[in-house]
Amino acid sequence: MAAYTETDVLVIGAGAGGGAVSKRLSDAGIKVVCLEQGDWVHAMDHPHMYDGWELERKRSWSFEPNVRKFPEDYPVTGNTTPYTFTGVGGSTLHYAAAWPRFKPVDFRKGTEHGVEGTIDWPISYEELEPFYAINDAEIGVARRTGDPGNPARPEGWGPASRGGKVGHKMGSGFDKLGWHWWPADNAILTRTKDNRLACNDCGFCLAGCPRHSIASTDVSYWPAALRNGVDLRVNARVEQINAKNGRATGATYIDRVTGQRHEVRAGIVVVAANSIGTPRLLLMSAQQGHPDGLANSNGLVGTHLMYHSWSFVDFWFDEPLEGFKGPEPAVLYSQEFYDSDPSRGFVNGFSLQVGTSLGAATSALGTNTGNLAPWGAGHRSFFNEHFGRHALIYVQGEDLPVRTNRVTLDPDVKDSSGLPAPHVHYELHENDRRLVEWGQQRAREAADAAGGVIDTTTSGIGGIDGPPPGWHIMGTCRMGNTPEDSVTNKWNQTWDVPNLFITDASSLTTGAAVNPTSTLQAVAVRAAEYIKRRHRDIASQTTTPSNADAPAL
Amino acid sequence: MTDLSVTPRDTKPPLGGWLPGIRLTETQAAVLNAAADELIPGGDGFPPPSEVDVISFIGRYVTPSGLEPRWFPFLGEDDFRARLDGLGQEFADATPVQRVTVLEGLERDEQEFFTRLRDVVYHAYYSRPEVIRAINRLPAGRDYRNSPQPYGYSDVMDDWDDELLSRVRGTYIRTEEVRRVAIPADLPMCSARQAREAGEN
Ligand SMILES: Cc1cc2nc3c(=O)[nH]c(=O)nc-3n(C[C@H](O)[C@H](O)[C@H](O)COP(=O)(O)OP(=O)(O)OC[C@H]3O[C@@H](n4cnc5c(N)ncnc54)[C@H](O)[C@@H]3O)c2cc1C
Ligand code: SF4
Repeated sequence: MAAYTETDVLVIGAGAGGGAVSKRLSDAGIKVVCLEQGDWVHAMDHPHMYDGWELERKRSWSFEPNVRKFPEDYPVTGNTTPYTFTGVGGSTLHYAAAWPRFKPVDFRKGTEHGVEGTIDWPISYEELEPFYAINDAEIGVARRTGDPGNPARPEGWGPASRGGKVGHKMGSGFDKLGWHWWPADNAILTRTKDNRLACNDCGFCLAGCPRHSIASTDVSYWPAALRNGVDLRVNARVEQINAKNGRATGATYIDRVTGQRHEVRAGIVVVAANSIGTPRLLLMSAQQGHPDGLANSNGLVGTHLMYHSWSFVDFWFDEPLEGFKGPEPAVLYSQEFYDSDPSRGFVNGFSLQVGTSLGAATSALGTNTGNLAPWGAGHRSFFNEHFGRHALIYVQGEDLPVRTNRVTLDPDVKDSSGLPAPHVHYELHENDRRLVEWGQQRAREAADAAGGVIDTTTSGIGGIDGPPPGWHIMGTCRMGNTPEDSVTNKWNQTWDVPNLFITDASSLTTGAAVNPTSTLQAVAVRAAEYIKRRHRDIASQTTTPSNADAPAL
Repeated sequence: MTDLSVTPRDTKPPLGGWLPGIRLTETQAAVLNAAADELIPGGDGFPPPSEVDVISFIGRYVTPSGLEPRWFPFLGEDDFRARLDGLGQEFADATPVQRVTVLEGLERDEQEFFTRLRDVVYHAYYSRPEVIRAINRLPAGRDYRNSPQPYGYSDVMDDWDDELLSRVRGTYIRTEEVRRVAIPADLPMCSARQAREAGEN
C-alpha cells in the first residue's frame, strides 16, 4: 500500500453533516481530511436553462441513485427507494431546503409514549437551540419570525420566501378553519450572501440551484472549509474504517479515478456518510475485535431506520394559482395536528406542508400523483383546466423507529468499486398508517376550506399504499441514553469506539414530523464544537463515557 | 496518456441530450409527427406538435445506436427507428380515426413502448416556444416562461398577506410540559412482538 496521510480528524462524507463538521473544526485550526466518494457538481450541470429542464429531472437529477446510475452512486437493494445524492454536498445537492426545526416535544417522545422503539433523546431542544442558531447563520436561512406554534427563532438572513398565489390561497383555507399555519423557513437565500445570489423565484428547486441560493453544503460550508485548509479528497470511496485496540486509527479508501487504495490515519474519525452509507460502512468495517462491524457490539447499527410517513395530495382549483413560480419546498406549513392525541387512534402527529407544482410537462404528466392528462381528444381541455391551478398538500408524519426497519449488506450486489451494496428493509408501522390516513382527510378539509376544488388525487408513492420513499433517511445509528439503546452517546461518540463519531442523519434519535436537515446539521455543529474543545480528553479515552460522565462543552 | 475522465460519454446521461441528436428518415419523421399529432391534437390556440418540431427535441433524447438506453425516456435509436418503420408510411397517411385506433392498440399491447413514446412527446411538446406562447394565453399561464432561468419569476410573484398572518394562532408543548399520553388500546406496541406472535422470525 502507498504511504499514508496523517491528520487530526478524518471526516467521511462531504454532505450535510460532514461539511458542517469539517468547517467548524477547521475554523479552530484543526487539521481535517475529508473523503467523499463523489465529485463536485458544477453550476452548468443544472438543467434550469435548458428546454428539457423538466425531463432532466428523470435522468441526471432523478432522486433515485438506482435510476441515475452514476458511477459514484452505490446501488441500493431492498423493498423501498431511498433518495440520496452523491458528491460534495451529498443529498443537499438536490434537496428542497425546507428548514423547519424539531419541536421540544420531539426530544421527549420516549417519555410521551415510548411506542415501538421510541426513546427520549439524550439532549433537549434547549440544549440544541444555540447550535441551530449557529448553523442557520452560517448557511443563510429565509425566515419570518413570530410563528406562535414554535419556540421563538432568531431573525433569518433574509425574509421568508414569498408565498405567491398558492400561499395566499391555502393560508386563507387554514385561516378559515382556525388552524395553525405559518410561512415556511427555507435554507434559501432571499438576500445575497458571500458569492451566492438571492433566489429569483424560478420554481425549479430539487435539481440543485445554479444561483447557489439553496444552501447545499457544497456552497454553504465547503468554500469556507477549503479556505481553512481542509484537505477534501473527491472520488475517494472509503472501503473500511480501521481500528486497533478498541480505537479507530483512520480509514482505507479507493481512488475511483485510478483504482488505487490509500490510507489516512487520524486521531479522531467522524463518519457522515448518511443514514444508508454510514451503517453500510460500519458493517463493511468488520475486523478483528469487531466481528459484526464497527460500533456494532449491540447489533443496533443499521436499525431503527426512519423515512417519515408521507402522502401527497394534489388539488386543482377553479382559479389561477401559478404554482410554477417561487421556490419549491413548502410555501407554508400547518402544525395544527403535530402533537400526539391518542383519541385519533395513533400516537405522534404530522405537519401539513403546502407545495408548488413545476411546469407544463409535469402538469400534463400527472403532477405529483399521476393524474395524467389523457392523450387524444380529451387532452386539451384537461391540460387547460389543470395547468397553473394546482396546490400540493403533503402529509409529513413522524414514523416510529422500528427496529426491524434497517440497513444490512447485500452480499450479491456490488458498487462500481466492488463493495457490497446496502440492502434496505422498511415497512410502515400500523400507527403510521393510521396517522397518514387521518392526515389525508385533514388535507382535504383544508383545501375545501380554501374553496373551489375541481379535482384531487392522492399519491400511491407514500403513506398508506406502500412503503414511503426515503426523502428523509434517519436514525440508523441513533444517539441515546445507554449502550443498550443506541449507537452513540449524547456527543455523537460511538459507545464502542471512543474516538469514532457519527454526525449525520443516522444519529437522529426520533424523526419528528418535519424535514431533518436543520436538526442534523445543528447536531453535527454541536458534536464538532465538542471535538474542538475536548479533543485532548477524547484522545485519552479508552472507553466512551456515559452521558452523565462525559465532559461538558 | 492516462485518461483521467471519470464521466466518459456512456457513464452519465449528457445534459440536454445527445448532440447532434438522431436524424430520422423522412418517413420516420412523418410517422412520429403523425403519432404526436394524435397524442396531443392542436386546437384552442395550441399548435399541433408536427408544426413545432417536436422531433428535434426527441432526437436528442433517443440514446444513439451503440449505447445502452439506460436513462429516461429509455428509447434506443435502433429499436425506435424500427418501430417507426413498422408503423410506416401507411400510418402517416392514415386518417386521424385510423391512427387513433393504431395508437390504442399500441397502448394495449405494447404498454411500455407506448408510455415511453407518450411521455417523451408530452415533454417535447410542452418545451416548445410556440406552445409556451399558447400557454401564455391561458389566465393561469400568462407569466409562464420557456425555462426557469435566467429570469425566474420574482418580477411577477405575489407576497404574503400580513393581515391574514396577523390572525394566526398556535401553540406547542414545552419540554417541561411533556407528559405520558394514553396509548390507543388497539395499537400494537411492538411489531417485533407481533411478528413473534404470528410465528414469523
Ligand atoms: C430529493 C430530496 C429532497 C429533500 N428535501 C429536503 C428538505 O426540503 N429539507 C430537509 O431538511 N431535508 C431534505 N432532504 C434530506 C436531506 O437531503 C438529508 O437529510 C441530508 O442531506 C442528509 O445529510 P447527511 O449528512 O446525513 O448525508 P448526505 O448529505 O447524503 O451526505 C453523505 C455523503 O457521504 C458520502 N459517502 C457515502 N458513503 C461513502 C463512502 N463509503 N466513502 C466516501 N463517501 C461516502 C456520500 O457520497 C454523500 O456525499 C431531501 C432529500 C432528498 C433526496
Ligand atoms: S426557485 Fe430559487 S432556490 Fe429554487 S432553484 Fe430557483 S432560484 Fe434556486
